[in-house]
Amino acid sequence: MRTSRRSFLRTGLLGGALLAFGGLGLSFYPSKEMGVPTAPLLVLEPRAFQVLVAVASRVVTAKGADPIAIAQGVDRALSYALPETQKGLNDLLGLFENALPGLLFDGHVKPFTRLSAESQDAVLESWRTSRITVRRIGYQALRKLCLAAYYMEESSWGPLAYEPPRGLNAMAYDDSQVGTPEWVRANSVPSAPSAPSNEEAP
Amino acid sequence: MTKLAVIRSSPNVVDGSRATTDLVLEADVCIVGTGAGGAVTAATLAQAGLSVLMLEEGGYYTHADFTMREKDTEPRLYQEGMSRTTGDGAIAILQGRAVGGTTVVNWTTCFRTPEDVVDHWKKKHAVGGFAYADLVPHYEAIEQRLAIAKVSVDSLNANNRTLYDGCTKLGWGVETLRRNVHACLQTGFCHLGCPVNAKRSMLVTMIPDAIDAGAKLVFRARADRFEVAAGSVKGLRGILLDTEGRKPTGRSFTVKAKRFVVSGGAINSPALLLRSGIDGGGLVGTRTFIHPVVGSSAIYDEPIEASRGAPQSAASHHFAHRGDEVGFFLEAVPWYPALMAATSPGFGRAHEAAFVQAPHAALHIAITIDGFHDDVPGGRVTLRDSGAPIVDYPIVPKLWSAFRFGQKRLAEMQFASGAKTVRTLHEVPVVMEGKVDEAAIDAARWESGSVPVSTAHQMGGCRMGDDPKSSVVRSEDLRCHGLTNLHVVDGSVFPTSLGVNPQESIYGLARMAATRIAAAK
Repeated sequence: MRTSRRSFLRTGLLGGALLAFGGLGLSFYPSKEMGVPTAPLLVLEPRAFQVLVAVASRVVTAKGADPIAIAQGVDRALSYALPETQKGLNDLLGLFENALPGLLFDGHVKPFTRLSAESQDAVLESWRTSRITVRRIGYQALRKLCLAAYYMEESSWGPLAYEPPRGLNAMAYDDSQVGTPEWVRANSVPSAPSAPSNEEAP
Repeated sequence: MTKLAVIRSSPNVVDGSRATTDLVLEADVCIVGTGAGGAVTAATLAQAGLSVLMLEEGGYYTHADFTMREKDTEPRLYQEGMSRTTGDGAIAILQGRAVGGTTVVNWTTCFRTPEDVVDHWKKKHAVGGFAYADLVPHYEAIEQRLAIAKVSVDSLNANNRTLYDGCTKLGWGVETLRRNVHACLQTGFCHLGCPVNAKRSMLVTMIPDAIDAGAKLVFRARADRFEVAAGSVKGLRGILLDTEGRKPTGRSFTVKAKRFVVSGGAINSPALLLRSGIDGGGLVGTRTFIHPVVGSSAIYDEPIEASRGAPQSAASHHFAHRGDEVGFFLEAVPWYPALMAATSPGFGRAHEAAFVQAPHAALHIAITIDGFHDDVPGGRVTLRDSGAPIVDYPIVPKLWSAFRFGQKRLAEMQFASGAKTVRTLHEVPVVMEGKVDEAAIDAARWESGSVPVSTAHQMGGCRMGDDPKSSVVRSEDLRCHGLTNLHVVDGSVFPTSLGVNPQESIYGLARMAATRIAAAK
């Protein structure tokens, strides 16, 4: 018990340093090429894109999900984020790929992109349930970005029975005067008949 | 051409992204931000005969842009492309960014500021510039203009009806909500911009009113800093952004005005003041309150289809007042696939298995009421190196305690309304069948990154009061202490959170302040 606590503390301290300098180990062990972007990348660095494709392939396992398209969608979504957030995500993906913290925390010596699917899931699981807050939040960021990018696409909605209407915009009211004195004068009641009633709830 | 389209194409409306020169602007009053505070102030002052200039960082999107698709709308209509979080990444911050501000994307819930909250401000925060009765005529005027009306129980969608029925069965106070809609088609897409102009947001009410009365609007214009000298603001400088609002175009603008109003909301307003060297003796950016939210998902035998119908139409304030403990209120949350996929825990097959139950899932939230307890100090807005704001919000033990209690009450309410299974949103969820398992909820990991916490209501940071040592603006007309011509008119002036959804509180206070500013011109 005493030993494990001490080793956790040590790991925690070292972990802090590794989180800060997570990119250092990358140059020693190249990432695996996971796919080619289908459009010029707006935010993600080429290596970060490859890592994100690998992450997406484990996070979104729905039938027909295309991890390259998901990573591309994340790149597009991130183009609206602050430059600081964009850099933070590139750094996070570098850290996720990095073999050195992988060895320290999770016992694997290969970059994330070169691990088997089972080992990749184990890495995600270890970040997900980590005692280190930064790892849990980092996992959440990657997970949410991938899932949101996938489920933003209409092609994913079939199993969810989700069918938002199209073209309702053409029915838009031009009632910019609702609530003005002119409108109130022209309407004998303060709400049109189709509006919700003013009835008090029981 | 429709009335709204005529206004949108008025020569008084300038798209900053298309400017081919730097802009030099002048007005009696320059208002930064066009959300609930800025738009009401602009309309009120323009109708009083002042020349008004509105500046907006976001885009001028209209119903034609509101496609009911998250992909098209969320990045464009929310701050930081919907990626805004607290500095540690632990709390997701939903906040609008567009002409009309958050009113374009909110869920139409309207409450006046509770009278006891206004009294609390007077007693504890030296807010002596107005009483609740002074706000009432302004609420009434806003309620008429925005067609605010209480909805009937019959109109509730299943997501809200389960909340209403569960609370009723338990004997908890619950009510249907007042919404700012006219002839609502119940499409359920308030969160992505109303596609039919049924929502009476600022976009279709106060902003057209202001422009009708002669106000000018420059959008894709980001205010950078005020020039302050000898106790007053001499001018404002800023930059123009590209069509999507992602990058500067390289063009800038300057404004000369007699009076300036900051209405950027509780995160951007303190940041603008701080960039300008206005720190209110260290108070600017402090006591930021966010109504932190935790949620609970429930599976029912019958379809819930939480994506359809008015997103929010019932609420319970039964647990709002808990003495020494932090209170909360209960509301429902609409369902959109990307938003909910990100909210639903896990990854891979485990995520997929739970997520496909979506058509039968209801989602309810406990919204905690921060700012009323000495040991819940709120958050703080400071500046990044780039000058952009960053929010730090420590989740103190008393809030974690309220989250746990709220989680149990949510589950209790969901089972009372017939839920078969209730799941917390923890990354390793507590899954309950048929009844609440309080021990399991207590044993769950209550820590950042293990349970999602979010905010859709940002308040504070430029709090009002009559003592310059403990407030940033005076309560009478929201003018900055020590500056003759700078006002802050938005949710940032609240000394605490509100305990209710904030939009109408901002409308009413803004109209009162603007009326007083106009009278003093």
